[in-house]
Parts: sequence; structure tokens; C-alpha cells
Amino acid sequence: MSSLYERIGGQAAVDAAVDIFYRKVLVDDRINEFFDGVDMDQQINKQKGFLTMVFGGPNEYTGKDMREGHKHLVERGLNDSHVDAVIENLGATLQELGVAGEDIQAIADIANSVRDDVLNR
Amino acid sequence: MSHIIFGDKRIGLDEGQTVLSALLEQGYDIANSCRAGVCQSCLMKAVEGEIPAEAQIGLKDTLKLQGYFMACSCKPDTPLHIATDANEGLQSSAKVIEHKLFNKDILCIRLKPEENFEYNAGQFISVWKEAKVGRSYSLASVSGLDDYLELHIRRISNGVVSNWLHDEVKAGDILQIRAASGNCFYTPGMPEQKILLAGTGTGLAPLIGIARDALKQDHTGEIHLVHGTRHVDDLYMHQTLLDMTKQNNKFNYLASVLQGDENQPAVSSVSIDKQLIDVAGDIKDCKIFLCGDPDMVNNLKRKLFIAGASMNNIHTDPFIASNS
Repeated sequence: MSSLYERIGGQAAVDAAVDIFYRKVLVDDRINEFFDGVDMDQQINKQKGFLTMVFGGPNEYTGKDMREGHKHLVERGLNDSHVDAVIENLGATLQELGVAGEDIQAIADIANSVRDDVLNR
Repeated sequence: MSHIIFGDKRIGLDEGQTVLSALLEQGYDIANSCRAGVCQSCLMKAVEGEIPAEAQIGLKDTLKLQGYFMACSCKPDTPLHIATDANEGLQSSAKVIEHKLFNKDILCIRLKPEENFEYNAGQFISVWKEAKVGRSYSLASVSGLDDYLELHIRRISNGVVSNWLHDEVKAGDILQIRAASGNCFYTPGMPEQKILLAGTGTGLAPLIGIARDALKQDHTGEIHLVHGTRHVDDLYMHQTLLDMTKQNNKFNYLASVLQGDENQPAVSSVSIDKQLIDVAGDIKDCKIFLCGDPDMVNNLKRKLFIAGASMNNIHTDPFIASNS
């Protein structure tokens, strides 16, 4: 059986998803303030890394990086509701791209698995 | 803790400290300007050791291979041996052949390089007052169309180089310049693509260069240029751009003026992003160039991306002010 990453289209799927996903995040008033003033090109690269990971692809994401990368945001109030919003936007992106429901669930599960690292718990 | 060797001196680096900061702290007079890894004024050459990748972002391959890096974004993990006199070969001479004001703040300088000078319209070069003080300016001229380099220089209050260029430099003088760099330029390959160009102040210089270069290379898609200023008096090259619009059915110029005088042709108080979105059609397929004030560039980038522009198609050149 093919892997999740192969099934949804690998690197091409990441490239197709990243603009849509980032755009949804930027217009979502629940979370977009966390993205104010960040370098958009760097952010797009980080989001590609994130999407590759949650799509089950090859990645070098570590819990330590996740913690370090979000520490300043946790100090600014990042909490479960914001992670929920990100996962919701991720789901909507995948739906738009026609990804099957069970694959979307599998991807959301991977995203959820790093929740505690993101929130530095 | 790592260290550098500069000439015959060993200089320790604090955790996370840049090479530039360590050298300035030691009292060395090191040329620098933006301190953000963009302008390349602080270019240095390593003769031994490993250069961190982020210290070479945006450099030409030829410079990378020779060991050049930007001191302001170099935080080496391992010892780095740096040459003290590597930059002389980077500079070349150019003669001022024209020196005239566009308006009260903006100067147009045309330079004739004394040797062959390769560039793409829209890239920037640095101009040097004395050996250590350089500033970057974008090229409005087009290689192959113009036999000179054209720069637009806004007078900055207390600006060391801009005031010197405005008040002391005159036609006939020889200036020291350093090679062109930057990623804001026209690339052939998609001649039918719609191009959106927008900028404030002297951000107009690279945009005009890019537009003329695209037309020269037989671009067939529409080219829309929006110049934003605070006041109608801050517009410059207005008539030239209106004439360009008349002469090329592919080219269209609009001015977005905060305090507008809407009776003038092509002048409107509609914001830059609205004007761009209005002419874009399907913005996803447009190639976009944004130049000038960094806040304006970043705001526009975000707005246009949200409006559907593809990140891969947005090229920016934020004019970061000197921090030195």
C-alpha cells in the first residue's frame, strides 16, 4: 500500500497546498496577528516544512525545533484554540484540493501529535 | 565560542555575534549599511574556514565561489580567517555624465562606466564616497538600450552619501561603484504573462528599468506600473511615463497619490493595492515587482498574496535605510 505522502501527491501536493494554506491563515482573524511582521518568504519555507511533515513526508522536524520556534508565540498567548484554528485551515485547504476525508483525518492526527511541542507543554 | 582571524589578529565572537559586530566592537572601520544581509556593503572575503550559508544569501555564484560573504549576517560556528584587503577588485570607476534634479528631493545621475559593466535593469549597485561609505541605488537604465547607468537618488536628511551626491558631485566627476546585485529584474520565458509593477518614491527607478527591459525583450503581455506618492508634487517622470503609455499599447501607467489632485491625467487617490487588483484580472498568473519603502513593500506583498497572487511570482526590493 502506498504511503500517505505518495497518495496525496508528495512534493507537488506541498507546493499546491502552501499558498492556499498560508492565505487562509493570514485572513483568519483568530490567528493572523501571530504572523504580523514576519518575513513572508521565510514563513512560506517553514510552512512547506510543516506541510511535508504532516503529509507524512521526509522531514527533519524535531520536537526541540517546534518548541524553540513557538516559544515567543506561547509567551504572547498562543494556546489550544489557535492550534485548533490552524488545523481547521489545514483541513479546509486539503478539502479544496480534493484530498480524501480519511487522509485529511490522518494529516490532522499528525498535526495534533505535535500540539504539546508547539505549545511548549 | 568561535573566533575569526582578521589580518594577524584573533578576535573572539560572543554566542550569536556577527563578524561585523565583533569587528566594529574592536574599533575596525568596516564598510556597512543595511546590516540586514541585503545591501552587500559589508562584503568580506574568507581565505580559510567554513562560511555559514546565510552569510551568502543573494550573492552571485562567482562571489560565493571566491569566498565572499556578508559580515553583517555571518555567525560562524568554526574559526574563519578573513582577508583584510579583498575588496579593491570589486570596485570600478564611472564618470558622471548627467546630474539633474527630477524634483526638489530626487536627483537623476547618469554614469558612464569606464569598463564593461554587466547588470539587469532593476538590480542595484553601490556608490562609494571614500573607501568605507557605500550606499545602494537601483538601476533605472537598461543594458543594451542605454549606454549609461541611471540612478535616482532621494535626498535623505543627514544622509552622508545622498547629500554628497546632491550637493558636491557634478558632471565630469569620477565615482567608485560596485557590481550590480538583487533579484528584482525581468526574466524572459513567459512573454504573455501580465506584469504588475508598484513602488513608492525612488522605487520607481527599478520599476521603469524592468518595464523598459521587458518591452525591449518583446514582452507581449500587459505591463502595469503604479507609482505611489504622498503628494502630487512628489511624482516624477510623470510625463515620460504618460508618453510611454501612449507609445506602447502594452504599457500602462497610473499614479496613486494620497493627497491627490485628480484632475491630472493618470493620477488617482485609489490605493496602490486596489489599483493593482483592479488591472490584474487573474492575479494568480501575474508576475509582480514591488520596490521602495520596506513597510509599503511588505504590506503590499501581504495584500496581493491574500488577493490570490502566487508567492513565487512576487519579487520585492525593500529599500532598507542605512543603519551605519
